[in-house]
Parts: sequence; C-alpha cells; structure tokens
Amino acid sequence: MQTKERVVPNGVVLDVTGDLTYANRDHFRAAVESVRKRGYRHLILNMAEVRFVDSSGLGLLALVAQNFKMNQGKLSMLKPQSYVRDIMTLANIPKLIPVYDNEADALAAYQMAA
Amino acid sequence: MSSTSAEQTTQAVSHTVLVVDDEPVSRTGMAARLKRLGYRVLEAGDGKAGLELLRRERPDLTILDWMMPELDGPSVCELVRRDPEICSSQILMMTGHDQPDQIAEGLARGADDFLSKAASSQEVAARVQAGMRAALMIRRLEHATGEIRRKQDAIERELQSAARYVESLLPLAGPLLPGVELAHAYRPALTLGGDLFDVLRWDNDQIGLYLLDASGHGVAPALRSAGLSTFLRGGGLRHQPGSRDPGGILTEANKQFPLSEEGNYFTIIFARLDVKTRTLSFASAGHNGAFLHHQSGGVTWLKNSSLPLGFSVPNLYETIRLPVSLSPGDRLYLFSDGVYEVPAPSGEMWGQERFAQAVMESGDLPMADVITRSVERAAQWLGHGHFPDDVAVMGVELKDEASVNGERGNTAR
Repeated sequence: MQTKERVVPNGVVLDVTGDLTYANRDHFRAAVESVRKRGYRHLILNMAEVRFVDSSGLGLLALVAQNFKMNQGKLSMLKPQSYVRDIMTLANIPKLIPVYDNEADALAAYQMAA
Repeated sequence: MSSTSAEQTTQAVSHTVLVVDDEPVSRTGMAARLKRLGYRVLEAGDGKAGLELLRRERPDLTILDWMMPELDGPSVCELVRRDPEICSSQILMMTGHDQPDQIAEGLARGADDFLSKAASSQEVAARVQAGMRAALMIRRLEHATGEIRRKQDAIERELQSAARYVESLLPLAGPLLPGVELAHAYRPALTLGGDLFDVLRWDNDQIGLYLLDASGHGVAPALRSAGLSTFLRGGGLRHQPGSRDPGGILTEANKQFPLSEEGNYFTIIFARLDVKTRTLSFASAGHNGAFLHHQSGGVTWLKNSSLPLGFSVPNLYETIRLPVSLSPGDRLYLFSDGVYEVPAPSGEMWGQERFAQAVMESGDLPMADVITRSVERAAQWLGHGHFPDDVAVMGVELKDEASVNGERGNTAR
C-alpha cells in the first residue's frame, strides 16, 4: 500500500494505492493519524486506486470516521471502484462516510457544513 | 581477582572433555594436560567405546584421534552427526600430520576443528577453550529452544482448552421446540474462532436465533465473541423492555460493544421465529448471510443494508418482518461469510449465490447433511480444507404440521 498526501483548502487529500486490508492496517493508520494529529479537520480519502477492502479495512474506515468526528472533523471518500463501493454499501459505510465522485464536490460539501 | 580465578576453576571443573585415542601414551598425556587445565576428563581407547561414552556422558567437548583401528575418527564424526541425540556435540579432530586436504576431509565429515598432535600446551589450551565456548553456546541455544517449545506447548494446550469452551457455547443440534429442529457446522480457521451462534428458547412458541462474526481471527476476537454471546444469552437482555425485538436487541448491543481500539467489530444477524404464527422477523448489523429455503423450492434472502455493531453510536437497528409466512419443511439458514467468501485457486470467489445453490441442490436431504455437503462444496471450490476464515452455518427447520401438533400436545406446560 502507498499513500500520498496533498494539502487542499481546509483539509488533506490522501491518495491511497493498493489494498485496504489487515496486512496494511498499520501503514494506513499511521498515514491517517498523522493528518489528524496535525490538526486538519477534513480528510478526503481518494480510493480510486484501491482494488480491495476487507473486513479489517472496513473497521479501520469506521474507526477513522469516529476519530475525526470526535475532533469536530470529517472524513470523506472519493471515487471508490465499483467492487469496493459494493462492499461498503453492504456495510452501509456511505451513511458514515460520504462518497463523492470529484474532489470539488467533497470540498464544497465540507465548506457548506462548516 | 581471586574470586574471578576461583570462578574460572569451578567453571572448568564442571566441564567434561572426552579423549578418544587408541595410543595409550598419547591419550594419557592429553588427559593429564586437560586435568591440569581443570577439566573433568573421560578416556576411551577406540572409536566404538568413544561413541558409547559420548552417548552416555554427553561431554562438553570430544578430542578424537583420526587414525584408529576399525572405527576411525572421521567415521565416528559421521555417526555422531547422524544421531539427533548427540549431533550437536563439539569435536576436535587430532592428527599427526595436518595436510590441507586431510583437514578439509575431516571438516567435511563432521569435525568442528583440528588439533595437531605436535601442538604446544598453549595451543591445546586455547583450542579446547574455543571449542568449549562453542559447546556452551550450543547448549544455551538448545536450552532456549527447549524452553520455547515447552512454552509453546503450554500456550497451545491453553488455546485448545479455550476452544473447547467456545464450542461449549454452541447449541446442541436436534429438537429446539416441538416441531423445530437445529443443525449446524462450525469450523474455526485457527484453533479459536471469532464466529458464534446460538438459539434462545423464549417460550413454547418463540425462539431467538443469532449468528455473529467478530472481525479478525484468533484469541482477541474469540474473547470478544464470547462476551457478546453472553450478553445476548441473558445478562444484557433480560431486563430490557421489548427484549424479544431483534432490532431493539441489536440497538442495545451496539451501545454495549463499541469498536475496539484496533477497529475490530461484529457483524450479526438476529432472527425471531414464531412457530405459532409461522412468522419470521430479523435485524441485521452489517451481516448478509441468511436465507429461508422454502420447501416448495427457492430462497428468500434476509437482507438489509445496515452498519456493523460499533460503527456508529447510537444507531437504530430496524426489525424487518419477512413478508412470507413459513410453511412446514421450510429451513432458515444463518451463516458467516467464511463459508462463501472462499477463493478458488484462480482467485474467483465462490459467493453467496453458489452457496445458496448448493443448499438448494441437496434440499431433499436431512438438514444436517445439507449443511455438511454445502461446506464440503465450499472446500472443493477452495481446493483444500483449510478455510481462510471461520466457517459457521446454522440451520433451523420447521417440521410438518402433524408432527408439530402431535408433539405439542404431549409437551404442554
């Protein structure tokens, strides 16, 4: 798994490449926690290059969403592939983490909320 | 200073060197030198006697003459290296002439080092000391390995005992109520599984059924599952209003079982079966494995997109009443994803639909056989019997009306 950070107005986009699975949990957590600890309130996970999310990955997404919410922040998701989108829909994840098809919409939604 | 030299002497005294040489003069000379250095010395006059002493006394170091009648030094070395009991022995091979190709042959056949018969006292002392150092290191390593193995065995025994406890939480297969039968399969991926299921006999008409799946594998998920199961089996529910409402039960469980700090959680399906009204209602928390197999053929899935437990607190879980009523011979199956998220060697998943198909194809068999066969089919798809995830399947069958009425009369409270 690879993660790349990009600072955008009012937040950070994390471009994730690879699988969001049990094996990659430490890498993913470290990347996300580093963003949160630096005080960014809005994290946008770019899922376009994520092929697979397992049950452990789903738990991590829920945990990250809770942690951001605790700091009055927000987690959003960008462009999940159709297989990943299906898995997340089954677990009702979009109810916790809004899914957007482009970055501008994700940013605009946060600005409106804030 | 004096204490250090005393320690060295004591240490040396407790260490044993075996000298194997067929020439009495050279053997006695070497033995005397070693005794002067403070070692305990054993002597053998030929290869065979040397091997016997090595096996019996386990000396720390063996000094072995190359040239001996019958069993020579290199042959003794080979026998030692082949014997798992003594193969780690330290052996110093002794020769009268130290030609490079002889040394190479001796090392290749199992010697650890060489000692020339013409070596000075200092060299003998130094080589023996070096050999002793290696011997002690090996002993320490063997001891540590043995210790690790013993501890591992103890952990394994504890895991087995914990696994027996977890399995004791599973319901007994057989009649649940008059006219209601239970069958199941349970195959944890590791010794301890994170899947659990059970049946609650609320009264003569109503039963509650659940199947839960803790994310992750091993000890922590098994403990978490046992905790949730205990909550569902009584403790946490008895005093709740509306405690037979599947949605209410999961709403409460969601409050009690938040995400772990590692992001671990449960998916669960909870169903309520009313035998009298032949109705089925259920609530699901992120769990998608359940269907009703109609006696008339076909299945009705118990599906509801919902969050796993702990994902969002508070959260309201909905009770869904199945729009069809149950007929005699209908079977309800609850199962974990471990039975259908099964990859073939090509990577292709078996999937829910194929699992349901396997159940339908053997639908004429008794329910216990249907479950066994369907799990076998999953294993065939997988290509072996080691499922990557815990496998749990629970089936409940509503028997035909005649037998229900007949048995009900006999067992009225």
